[in-house]
Amino acid sequence: MRGLWCVWLMGFATMAMADVPAPEGAFENSACVECHQQQEDELVAAWQASVHAQTETLASCVDCHGDTHGKAAARARRDGVCMRCHGGADSPVNHSYTTSKHGVLVRLEQDEWDWDRPLELANYRAPGCSYCHLHRGNHNVSASVRDWNATEGTDAAEGEQLPDIMRAVCQDCHSPRYITRLFENGEQMLAIGRMKVSEAAAVIEQAEDEFTGTELAAAREYFERMQSLHLKNVYLGVGHQSPDYQWWHGQPALDGDLLRIKGAVGELYRLPVSNNGKDGGER
Amino acid sequence: MSRKRVRYIWIPLIIALIAVPAGFYYVDWSKGGEGAGLYSRHWLPDAVFAYWNPADFYASPDAVVGKFEGEQCIACHQAVTPGIVKDWQASRHSSPGNGKATVNCSDCHGNDHQALHLPTPEVCGTCHATQHAQFEDEKRYGFPSHALAMERALDAKHFVDKPKAEVTACLQCHSVATKCDSCHTRHRFSAAEARRPEACITCHSGPPHPDDETYFASAHGQLYLAEGQDWDWSKPLRKGHYKGPTCAYCHMGNGKHQVADKSIWKFGIKQINPLTSGNQVKREQWVALCSDCHEADWSRQQLAGLDAERKQAWKKLYSAEAILKDLRSQDLLYPAANERPPYPTDWLDSLWPRARVGFFEGQASAFYNVSPIERDYFEMWYFDNLGAYKGAAHGDPEAVRRGHAALERDLAAIEEEASRLQGLADAEQQAQRQRPDAATLWKSGDYTDFNREQN
Repeated sequence: MRGLWCVWLMGFATMAMADVPAPEGAFENSACVECHQQQEDELVAAWQASVHAQTETLASCVDCHGDTHGKAAARARRDGVCMRCHGGADSPVNHSYTTSKHGVLVRLEQDEWDWDRPLELANYRAPGCSYCHLHRGNHNVSASVRDWNATEGTDAAEGEQLPDIMRAVCQDCHSPRYITRLFENGEQMLAIGRMKVSEAAAVIEQAEDEFTGTELAAAREYFERMQSLHLKNVYLGVGHQSPDYQWWHGQPALDGDLLRIKGAVGELYRLPVSNNGKDGGER
Repeated sequence: MSRKRVRYIWIPLIIALIAVPAGFYYVDWSKGGEGAGLYSRHWLPDAVFAYWNPADFYASPDAVVGKFEGEQCIACHQAVTPGIVKDWQASRHSSPGNGKATVNCSDCHGNDHQALHLPTPEVCGTCHATQHAQFEDEKRYGFPSHALAMERALDAKHFVDKPKAEVTACLQCHSVATKCDSCHTRHRFSAAEARRPEACITCHSGPPHPDDETYFASAHGQLYLAEGQDWDWSKPLRKGHYKGPTCAYCHMGNGKHQVADKSIWKFGIKQINPLTSGNQVKREQWVALCSDCHEADWSRQQLAGLDAERKQAWKKLYSAEAILKDLRSQDLLYPAANERPPYPTDWLDSLWPRARVGFFEGQASAFYNVSPIERDYFEMWYFDNLGAYKGAAHGDPEAVRRGHAALERDLAAIEEEASRLQGLADAEQQAQRQRPDAATLWKSGDYTDFNREQN
């Protein structure tokens, strides 16, 4: 009975504060969008421009915020909400973060924090996923993320200024020069990773003139792993500041792929002529 | 003794008198380059190294002119970097209590904004003298230790050899030697935080040292995961204060900032004799520690179990090493040592190319520019072996089982690969075909060229 009174009082308070009373829910995603478009159309537009709204498995309002109003913002700010869709605790994207110092501090201290505070001005001692990727409530999650591209460099690698939004996120806690140095180093570390990939690509490409797809299958498999896994680990290690992903899951893993590709291709030149070859043995 | 013979004694004496100081001088000279460590004259630091190894590389920014103290720093940085200020305000440095003086920004960073410094352990040690002395004391026990970690990284062949923006990754963890915030993150510098196992996992994770996985999977770790959030972490790491042990409880018992003095098997990368008198002393130290909760006999059995596991692992590792050395002596490794890029900084390697097999030959650098079978051994030695070791040491039997199954698989694969290499060579001999020179394939390419030219 007392609970009911509380609900009634809270509802009354909400109605008194806002022009439009916010009902408790539950809501369908379309209802959220329709109402919030009238009140904060920028927020909705940012979400619509983001990868969350454009993927096939849409990350909708209710997926992150739940389908009721109470604590809807605080709920969506917690890491667990993001990790559920991004592959669970063991996926590289999450593991690179949870083992970073940022991730560790969030894990240790999150239950003592007031998650109603906005995602800005170092309101949180360490950044959770949302602090960086939805900074200041910007619902376009891609705005503060460097695009993942295995083979080509990023804008900043070509000498462009870092997007101000990324600087602003880090500068809540870190000095401007430190941020610059870390970003420069990170771009360079990724460029080095890409050099390993392009060195391997050249080896395979050259071998394609002489050998069949079947013969090159092993090398191609290593190459695929280089691009989709190990180079991506370097990227995640740089982005999430995880030494282990920059290194053991990243650079030396790429070294291993590269030498195995060279080993596999190099050996093809050794095999007895009659066994294989596109040109019927005229090598 | 004849006079002539007495005169001969002078020859080695004089040589020694010249050679020893010359040796000292050479080592000193070699440390005087723009890099750091023994090979400092061979490389230039990346700009970011300033933050990982401040003693060697940090230079103050000079954009802001003036001298500032206490509230003056806060007034400005509240707007520039609010997180730092909030963190400091919540720290004991800001309100130490017991009538102690506040530790202000300028106490650690200096007050001249054009001559700021990043605090090294020495700076922290001016107040935290006991902890700093314990930390320094680690150096007596050799590597692995926290205090020697930076030195170890800078003097590694692969660190010197590889592009500096790549090996920045190493320094992030090896900087545990050069700054205290690896465990007590800035600017809170909390003891309670460093007592939690998670404080260690940013570095103590991943294939060569899955300390996190093996601890969390152990009974100790399971207890922590189930109840740890309710424990009072402000308490010192002493008997009776914690229901279960954590990384720091065992490795830094009573808050002693010394992780090296009890270590027997050390990093697990070379075989040691666990039964030397020195190691017996360490064993008793472990038994004493475990006796906070366990009977002495039980603890001794656990340690003996670890020794037995190590013995088994090394049997497998030596079998693989023997195969590789055999391949090397028969010139069956492909590419041969002279067909791969030498370490640019290693002149001996360019004169006398030699594949590195085993710990004492530099196995730690044998993860790139080697033939696939050598890399297979590297992974067996550095990943699967160490995974099994950490499982045995931390009480995760499943990791031991998994690790040894992997070691057996690795050994079988290396055996198979070795006989395949032998078969290839036999076929070539039979067909009277020359083995093609692998140098072109191995010594050039985007990364390899960059590594050679830009170091």
